[in-house]
Amino acid sequence: MKGRKPVEWTKLDNAAKIFPPTSNERDTKVFRFVCELRDEIDENILQEALDKTMPLFPFYQTVLRRGFFWYYFESTELAPKVAREYKLPCSMLYHPNRRNLLFEVTYYKNRINLEVYHALTDGTGALAFLKTLLYYYITLRYREDFKDRLPVLDYDASITQKMDDSFLKHYTGKRIPKKVKIIKAYRIQGRRFMDNRIKIIEGVMPVKEVLELAHKYDTTLTVYLTALFIRAIYKEMPARSRRYPVVISVPVNLRAYFPSVTARNFFATINVKYDFAASGDKLEDIIKEVKECFNRELTQKKLQEHLNKLSALEHNAFMRMVPLILKDTVLRLANRLNDRQITAALSNIGRIAVSPELEPYINMFSCFTGVKRPQIALCSFKDKLVVSFSSPFTGTDIQKNFFRFLTDENVPVVISANIKEI
Amino acid sequence: MQYCPHCKVKIKGQHTVCPLCAGILEGDGDPKEEVFPFIPTIYQEFNLFIRVMILISIIVVVACFAINIIFTKESRWSLPVAAGVLCMWISLFFIIRKKNNIPKTILWQVGIISILSVIWDKSMGFAGWSIDYVIPLICVLAMIVMAIGAKILKISVRDLIIYLLIDVIFGFVPIIFIIFGWLNVIFPSVICVAASIISLSVLILFEGDNMKNELKKKMHI
Repeated sequence: MKGRKPVEWTKLDNAAKIFPPTSNERDTKVFRFVCELRDEIDENILQEALDKTMPLFPFYQTVLRRGFFWYYFESTELAPKVAREYKLPCSMLYHPNRRNLLFEVTYYKNRINLEVYHALTDGTGALAFLKTLLYYYITLRYREDFKDRLPVLDYDASITQKMDDSFLKHYTGKRIPKKVKIIKAYRIQGRRFMDNRIKIIEGVMPVKEVLELAHKYDTTLTVYLTALFIRAIYKEMPARSRRYPVVISVPVNLRAYFPSVTARNFFATINVKYDFAASGDKLEDIIKEVKECFNRELTQKKLQEHLNKLSALEHNAFMRMVPLILKDTVLRLANRLNDRQITAALSNIGRIAVSPELEPYINMFSCFTGVKRPQIALCSFKDKLVVSFSSPFTGTDIQKNFFRFLTDENVPVVISANIKEI
Repeated sequence: MQYCPHCKVKIKGQHTVCPLCAGILEGDGDPKEEVFPFIPTIYQEFNLFIRVMILISIIVVVACFAINIIFTKESRWSLPVAAGVLCMWISLFFIIRKKNNIPKTILWQVGIISILSVIWDKSMGFAGWSIDYVIPLICVLAMIVMAIGAKILKISVRDLIIYLLIDVIFGFVPIIFIIFGWLNVIFPSVICVAASIISLSVLILFEGDNMKNELKKKMHI
C-alpha cells in the first residue's frame, strides 16, 4: 500500500517560525544568491549537479505544512527542476495549502540563481548549498580540467550537523526580564510597482578601495557602508520626519559566535539606531555612533541574551498550546510592531571563499532579498565587492545618494538593474 | 558599457536613462551584458469570473428585494433568497480558499453545510430535517467522496487520513441525536453511525501506524 514508508518531518527552527505567517506577495521572505560564472550555463549539467547536491542536503527536499499547533517541514518526493529564469526575482515560493519545494534553482546567461524561502535557511545555509552545487557543476562541466585530481569541497558537516537546530542547542533558558519599549523609527514611503516587483540595483566595485575608505575612518567595511546608507536615507527624509531616528536592522550570523555548522537558520538581528535630531548629520558622527552600536551589540553575552529572548517564546508552555490560527495572528501583529521600529536593513554575507581550483571559473557572487523596505546586501568574492540594493519603491534617490557617495570618493562602480523604466 | 556622467558609474546592459538618476547616458548599451531577463507585468485577472459572479448575485438579491417591496409587500420572500445566496458564497469562499487541499475542502464543507442547515432549519420553525437527514447523510457522503476521490486523484493515504478521521469522528455525533430522541426519522443517523464505526475500524486496523504518525506530526506541540 502507498504511504507505508514513514514520512520524515521536522519542526521549524526558532527564527523560521515568524516567516510562514508573515509572508505574502508584498513581502515574500525569499532571498536570492547569484553566482556569475565565466561561461554560459548549461542547463543539463546544472540539473545533473543539482541532482547530485540534493542527497547531501536532504533537509531541502521538504514542503512546509500546517499542523494544529505549529508549522512543520515534511519530506517529499518532489524533485527540484532547473529552469531558465522565468519569473520576477524573489517572488513567492511558499503558498499556503500548496505543496512545493521551498527553493528554486534557475539560470540566466552566465548566472546561476538560487532562490530560497527564508523559513528553510538563512544566507549562510543557502551559501553552503550553492557552493556544493557549484562544486558539482564546475567539476562536471569542465571535466577535462579535473581529470587528474578532484578539488575538495570545503563545507565539512555531517547530515545531522546540517540539520541541527542551533537555537535549541544554545538556548540556556536564562531569561533577563526586560521591558520592551517600542521606539517608532522613520519609515520610508514611496510608490510601489503594480505587481509588487522589487527594484534591484547591483553595484560592483573593487573591495580594496572601499576597504581603504573604511580604514581612513578607522573602521570596518560593514560599519562604513551602514553609515553611508543611513546618510543616504537622511538626504531624502522630509524635514518633519527628522524627529524619528533612522534604524537599520542588521542580521548577525550566530555561527560566528556559537559553534555550529547548521544549514538551517541561525541568525539574530540587531538594530543600529541613529538620531539625526540629536547627533547631527556629519558622516564622522554617524560612523562613530554606528561603530559604538556594533561594539555594544556584537558580544557573546548580548547575543546569548538575544538568543534566549527569541527562544523563550517557543519554550513558553502557554504559547505552545495556542492553536496555529491564533498564533498566526499574534505573530503577524508582533511582526507589524517590529516593522515600526525599522527603517531599512543591511546584511553582510561577507567574503565568499571557494576552493582555489574552482576560483578561475567564477566571476562573482551576488545576493539580494525580496523586501518591503529598502535593503542592502553585500558580499565579496576575491577582489569584487557586490552591493545589491533592493527596494519595493519605484524611486531611486536613496540608491543614487548611496552610490554617489562612493563614486565621489573615486571608487569605480559598475551598475546593473532589473528595471529600466523609472 | 554605458556611462552616467552625473553619478560617475558605468552601467551594464542597455538603458535609455541612468537607473539611478534618470539622466542621459554616454556610450552605447549592449543587451548581451544584461544580467536580468525582462519579465512582463502580469495583471492578476484570474478572479474576474468570481467578480462577475458576485455582481450577478448582488443584482439578483437587489432585484428580489425591489420586486418584493413593490409588488408583494405583505410577504418577506426575498429574505430567504438573500440568505440562500449568502450561504452559497460562504461555502464557495472556503472552497476557493482551500482549493489546493481537496480532503480539507471536503471536511470544511461538511462542517459548513451542517451548521448552515441547522440555522436554516431553526429559522424555518425547526422541522428537524437538518439533523434527520442533512448532517448524517453529508458525513457519509464525505466519507465516500474522500475514499473514491483519493483513489481517482491519487491522493496518498497519508494526506487523507487526518481529514477522514475527523469526518469519521464527526459521524458519531448522530448518536447524541438518537439518545436524546431528537429525531423524527432515524435511519440516516443509524447508517451514518454504522458507517463511521466500520470506517474507524478499517482506519485503525489497516492504517493504524500511519494514523499515529500523522497525528503526532499534525499535533506536535
